[in-house]
Amino acid sequence: MRRCGTTAGGGVGNLALRGVSKRFGSTVVLDDVSLEIGADEFLVVLGPSGCGKSTLLRAIAGLETIDAGEIEIDGARVDHLPPGKRGVAMVFQGYALYPHMTVRGNIAFGLKNIGTERAEIDRRIAAVARMLEIEHLLQRLPAELSGGQRQRVAIGRAIVKDPKVFMFDEPLSNLDAALRSRTRQEIANLHRRIRKAMIFVTHDQTEAMTLADRIVVMNQQRIEQVGTPLQVYREPATIFVATFIGSPAMNILPVTRAAGSGTLQWVRLADGTQIETTASEASLPGQGALRLGLRPESVRLCGLGDGQTKALVDFVEFLGDKTHVLLSLAGGDRLVALDGASCPVHAGESVGVLFDRAATHLFDAEGRNRGLTG
Amino acid sequence: MTLRAPSAGAGAGRNWALLALLALASLAMAAPLLWTLLLSLKSNGDLLRSTRSAFSPPYTLQNYSDILGHSAVFGWLLNSTIVSLAVTLGVLALSSLAGYGFARLRFPGRAVLFIVLLFGLAIPEQSVIIARHQMFSALNLHNTYRGLILPGLAAPFGVFLMTQYFRATPRELEEAATLDGASRFKIFWRILLPLSLPAQATLGIFTFLSTWNDYWWPLISATDSDMYTLTVGVASSQMNFAQTNGLGYLMAQAVFASAPILIVYVIFQRYIVAGVSRAAT
Repeated sequence: MRRCGTTAGGGVGNLALRGVSKRFGSTVVLDDVSLEIGADEFLVVLGPSGCGKSTLLRAIAGLETIDAGEIEIDGARVDHLPPGKRGVAMVFQGYALYPHMTVRGNIAFGLKNIGTERAEIDRRIAAVARMLEIEHLLQRLPAELSGGQRQRVAIGRAIVKDPKVFMFDEPLSNLDAALRSRTRQEIANLHRRIRKAMIFVTHDQTEAMTLADRIVVMNQQRIEQVGTPLQVYREPATIFVATFIGSPAMNILPVTRAAGSGTLQWVRLADGTQIETTASEASLPGQGALRLGLRPESVRLCGLGDGQTKALVDFVEFLGDKTHVLLSLAGGDRLVALDGASCPVHAGESVGVLFDRAATHLFDAEGRNRGLTG
Repeated sequence: MTLRAPSAGAGAGRNWALLALLALASLAMAAPLLWTLLLSLKSNGDLLRSTRSAFSPPYTLQNYSDILGHSAVFGWLLNSTIVSLAVTLGVLALSSLAGYGFARLRFPGRAVLFIVLLFGLAIPEQSVIIARHQMFSALNLHNTYRGLILPGLAAPFGVFLMTQYFRATPRELEEAATLDGASRFKIFWRILLPLSLPAQATLGIFTFLSTWNDYWWPLISATDSDMYTLTVGVASSQMNFAQTNGLGYLMAQAVFASAPILIVYVIFQRYIVAGVSRAAT
């Protein structure tokens, strides 16, 4: 059982999932997922392809039935209701605008289906169009719009129904880099304005880190960790979260247990270097392999005689504002250090290496972070 | 530039050769039609002497006025129109609904049923015609519109075409409509059906053309001349006139019978070409 696979913190949940599971035949696609989302919270579900994040969204929307568990919105159970009656709206990855309807027709379709009066439909469309600055596009067909405009129309179609929960299924993946960044800001602004629960599915950690109040990291159909962007970055619950969040990824080095003294635990790298960690001796399992996690920015280069150990520089990547330095330790371990723009080292050099004790993570054989408190 | 000029010249030459070839092929295709048109504009007496008179005046519209004045062609035209439209509308409705069912609904036996449907594509009409004739005879359906229309409604190709088309339609559209609170029928009617218009147009045109041109079943089912379709009616006239003195009149009837289909073709040729292209890919 993984540590953070259950209910997250936060206030009264507008949306609550309890023990939700889903199978396709013998394949488990959601495994006992529990989660609560605040009424005005922006939650980002992050994970690699096939981890179950889109299925989770579709289960909440009612596009997939669930095999076990409960889904509640505003305290009322909804998992038996059809999608149109759950009070949710979704922006699809491919926008899913009806190609034969104008922008106005697309936005009005949902309102007409629930019998909204024409005057009210017009009023709501006008308000949404003004908010999203698409008033001049209302009579156009989707084929006549750019990717960014389609994105706005898809969002407008969701907003106009005034749902309790908004869901976004990788909505930025079809946009180019510049437009993606701008749309990301617009979505953040939109959330600030309408203050509704939003669930945003992505595999892009930049989107997750910049948009989320909380991030749900999923892997292999389960929730690995729920936390604020800072929490999942600085206090990854598992080795998966540690390596999935951050670029370059966290260095993971096999270590053996060295001296321990109550609240302190020392570990030994393959080259014999001993490193002090934040894990306490008491928090470690009696036996089993251990792995040390170090963010690249926690690995500092220094003169040969000044480091805790020495390393050979294999490769240097200058990225303008920063430099990635690929290092080999004497014991065969390889790791990446993050240095400044004016990093003076070159491939083939030997350098000293210092490790930031406060930023170390110690993972047990199951991949759980044993250095976390609470 | 100097290097490209000869190349461009050679390209233009090839284009002209291709155009000439296509023009010749078009002429070969159009020749029988033009010949028919030419003969229909000549008096029967002139043609009795020699069909070479078709290349020289005088020309006349007498054959056409005879058709409009005396012939049963209008009745046959009406029959063909009723039968072709009914079959076309029926095939479109049934194929769309069945295609949607096969493409999107999950029900026991769907795969088997679809294979059975595909077998329907491979069974020639000739192999079932006697059984069908006996069945329609037993049901007293011969010499009725129902007798002419019902066999055409069994259109496995139409179901197959629409199934493939609906399968290719993004599922996200239906899911978006579901979230918009639309019922399954509304999704079919308001979203999928309008999106399938290109396929509907192709299927509708081909169904209309094949029903209009169908000769064999109407020949068997419609023995009363009042129930003749145009193809059967024109053929029955041929027995009376073809070898005697009515060649111009016969050709005028052929032109008259072809006119609606030519009009349909001219109006919808974009969809016909698209349909053929789609079938080839």
